[in-house]
Amino acid sequence: MQKVVMSGNQAVARGFWEAGGVVAASYPGSPTVEILESVKAYKEIYSHWAMNEKIALEIAMGSSMAGGRAMASMKHVGLNIAADPFMTFTQTKTNGGFVLVVGDDPGLSSSQNEQDTRVYARFANVALLEPSTPQEAKDFVKLGLSLSEENGTPVIIRLTSNLCHSRGVVALSEREEKDIPGFVKDQPRYNMLPPHANRQQIFMHERVLKLQGYAEESPLNVLVPREGSDTLLVTSSLPYCYLMELKPEASVLKLGMTFPLPVQKIRQLSHNYRQTIVIEELVPLVEQELKAAGIAVKGKDYFPFTGELTTDVIRAGLIQAEVECSAPQATVEPSSSPRRTPMLCAGCPHRPIFDVLREADVTVIGDIGCYSLGILEPFEVLNTVISMGASLGMIQGVAKAHRYADKVRPLVATIGDGTFFHSGLSGFADLARTEENITIIVLDNRTTAMTGGQSTPTTRDYLKDESLYGMSIAEILVAFGIRDVQEIDQFHLSKTRRVISEAMERDGLSVIIAKRPCALNFKVVNPHFFVDPEVCIGCRRCIQVNCPPISMHTYPGIDDSKSFIDPKMCVGCSVCSQVCPVKAIKSSALLKKGGGSK
Amino acid sequence: MSVTSIMIAGVGGQGLVLATRIVASVALAEGCDVKTGDVVGLAQRGGMVWGSVRFGEVVHSPLIPAGSGDFMLAMEALEGLRWAHLLKPGATVLLNNYSIFPNRVLLEKDVYPEDVPGLLKARGLETVSIDAETMAEEMGNRKLANTILLGALSASLPFPVKTWQGVISENVPPKTVELNLKAFDAGRDAATSDNH
Repeated sequence: MQKVVMSGNQAVARGFWEAGGVVAASYPGSPTVEILESVKAYKEIYSHWAMNEKIALEIAMGSSMAGGRAMASMKHVGLNIAADPFMTFTQTKTNGGFVLVVGDDPGLSSSQNEQDTRVYARFANVALLEPSTPQEAKDFVKLGLSLSEENGTPVIIRLTSNLCHSRGVVALSEREEKDIPGFVKDQPRYNMLPPHANRQQIFMHERVLKLQGYAEESPLNVLVPREGSDTLLVTSSLPYCYLMELKPEASVLKLGMTFPLPVQKIRQLSHNYRQTIVIEELVPLVEQELKAAGIAVKGKDYFPFTGELTTDVIRAGLIQAEVECSAPQATVEPSSSPRRTPMLCAGCPHRPIFDVLREADVTVIGDIGCYSLGILEPFEVLNTVISMGASLGMIQGVAKAHRYADKVRPLVATIGDGTFFHSGLSGFADLARTEENITIIVLDNRTTAMTGGQSTPTTRDYLKDESLYGMSIAEILVAFGIRDVQEIDQFHLSKTRRVISEAMERDGLSVIIAKRPCALNFKVVNPHFFVDPEVCIGCRRCIQVNCPPISMHTYPGIDDSKSFIDPKMCVGCSVCSQVCPVKAIKSSALLKKGGGSK
Repeated sequence: MSVTSIMIAGVGGQGLVLATRIVASVALAEGCDVKTGDVVGLAQRGGMVWGSVRFGEVVHSPLIPAGSGDFMLAMEALEGLRWAHLLKPGATVLLNNYSIFPNRVLLEKDVYPEDVPGLLKARGLETVSIDAETMAEEMGNRKLANTILLGALSASLPFPVKTWQGVISENVPPKTVELNLKAFDAGRDAATSDNH
């Protein structure tokens, strides 16, 4: 049997392939982006980047109804968008195996909230599996598809950021093809209106009881006993691996399935121990369920309800609970080192927009994408970041509250092309006839940049690639009846400044579409710029446009520090040269023509 | 066989994920159990990036508990300093002699630490400085810096050169295999000839 090193995400893709999966759909979001990227390598599977998570789930749902094994994958907040179809789909008796793979983000390394997907399992009456290694990620996807078909239920596979990205050794198997019967008409099964939907409440209730019976006996929930210990630790997912590393003086019950729980099994086991402690990341779901069943357990008394439970965090909790660990502990203090926060890339097309908005000192309603970084210093331009597409509704509400309070002033929102197609279309349709002074800047960089450069419907226009699905945001908005729509090249800074400031003076909706492409994704590189230190007055205006290659520098023979551009990092966008008040920043292309002065 | 832990630290865009994968694949090819951890996401936009590789007979966790790491490959100096507390006393740091200023340093709100090798030595760590960027440029391609650093790391690990060469060849673009193998040798030589 071949063994390879795979990430949790890659292992999910492999498991789906081995299980004979036929349709996989997703919307890119960290930490699960790599799942669908990996699925693409398996030619038997139809893989689809949908416009949003709801559509991804619906595509997978359709395949399942037709009998084809299906997978939808998304980040945790994506499930909020997909929850509408999911909460009704779960009432139907699942046909072809259906797994919903969700990536939670304890510690919020790349998300706007820390919600716990396990809560959805109870809400939707479905089984939820939690792998702790890439091998289990592969195995649990396959098992999940079987459980799905055997019990007529969707199954959630819950991953966390660290598991998605961590790698381990995975043993590979071959693909098993499944017979696909095609869609069979069955009105009571798929038409979720009364009285059919009423009947399905009972179906779901019985389904959960059956799954609970399975949980009691399942090898997914396994005890690792420790002779002579008086403590039982109940855990799942990566914290189990950290516990194995720490070697505590305790028996460990590893739950591979955290909904429904094997309550009877835990009740019986707990009788053999002085104390039972639940170690779970995020909300005390297992802890509360066991307490409700009358089992005396502790959990969040010792372990935090937010952030990741790492080896070091778990050790600290165990010490509090007076459980010894045999793994040695070292105490080493970290060095004090300057923080390194994310920043816009060299040549990023969002930079000039943020520079203009900072100067305009206007209220900006933000949205989700790379441009969310506009909240960071030195721009601090975006005043809100909530959820995908939310800027368009929010800005109307702010305007109306201002009007009521007689505090009317111009309002601006920024939204990217990815977010526009994900959940901005209905927001724009809603805004089309507003009479308030609202300016929306669409940052059309032709890609879903933050998640690694997946294509959007405007990628084709830039790449001139006819195989891509192409749309024009301007044409869509005009079709909505919005008249005040302009496209601009934001690297023409003075013009950009004028267009934005004029739009802010007009009542009604103005839309400005900034068309420069993502420099990182499309590898846009022009001759680098340089600073002439003899001309530079050290005013730091260029530093304030905040580009990775630009810093203050001590030049030989010059007392005061002057700005400097690292030629290896500069991609020649020219924005810094346009803000320089003394024209000290020039293109190296001029040097080659003999037109520069250095 | 106890578990050996390697921390790999750098900045978004430095190719750290590939480096982590290569070390892990070498360990697997030599019959070890192996786990790695990675941070990605927002880190892609110039933030800090780290990877951990742990190998041995049985490896439970991808994360390196504080004070237990055996080696660090620091692709950027400040990031080497940031994660130094994960290493045990006497551990070896292969330090790329290269600085990328974080945002707050660019904005003059923080100062980039001077003499990172000295600070690491003061923590009781063996520090081997490698000029991978300059070496790579001399070889004609800045992207070779990572392979040079992997070569340097290989000198400290118990795996045959042949296995490294095989894994690197499988993981770099076919046209660049020869150049990458040269870079690997150069890094390995630099680490072994360096007087710490």
